[in-house]
Amino acid sequence: MDLSYQEKSILGSLLAMVLVYGYYFANALRHAGESEFGGGGIGRLIFAVIAIIVIQIVYHIILALDSKPEPKDERDVLIECKAYRNGYFALATGAFLVIGGVIMAVLARDAAPTRIIVTPFLIVNLVLLFMVLAELVKLLTQLFYYRRGLR
Amino acid sequence: MSKGRIRNNVRTLRFHRSEMTQQELAEKVGVTRQTVIAIEGDKYSPSLEVAFRIAHAFKVPLEEVFQYESSDP
Repeated sequence: MDLSYQEKSILGSLLAMVLVYGYYFANALRHAGESEFGGGGIGRLIFAVIAIIVIQIVYHIILALDSKPEPKDERDVLIECKAYRNGYFALATGAFLVIGGVIMAVLARDAAPTRIIVTPFLIVNLVLLFMVLAELVKLLTQLFYYRRGLR
Repeated sequence: MSKGRIRNNVRTLRFHRSEMTQQELAEKVGVTRQTVIAIEGDKYSPSLEVAFRIAHAFKVPLEEVFQYESSDP
């Protein structure tokens, strides 16, 4: 499969996100019982962010040495716009779900004792999850339009 | 509103310009080679400005490069 520089760049970002955040959320699930978002949680989050940055920089250096970087033209910008639109919808949907979930959990807790406890740890990770999903939607949309074309 | 389709003769025009490469055309027009490939494959309809620049690169009128096919009967 003949991939352009932009497609290779997007694929690299996609892989880095899946690997690093896959690992992060697998870890977060193991600590789901924690009520506070303490030092360990913040440490894991900072590690994930730094890991993403380092992997992206190393990957893009290797990519630039392997294939000549191409400046973006109008087609790249148009595809990026469509990708950001889809990513925004995913992020907005996630934000509404988190807000709705918190309201429902608080109402349920007030009405009757429940096992659903809204903790800072849960909220931070849910918001982060939807941010990551929105970015994945953006990257996948870009790959889709690069492959299928804009007709 | 019915949706039409924009066809082009970029591949043929390149052939008649002593087999101008996609890269050469891309550099003349100011887009990437990938965009020239997408235009030739009818996978992308360029902006009016790029369409004019392509016609200018081949020194032909715009209609000789791009044709609009209406889906109306």
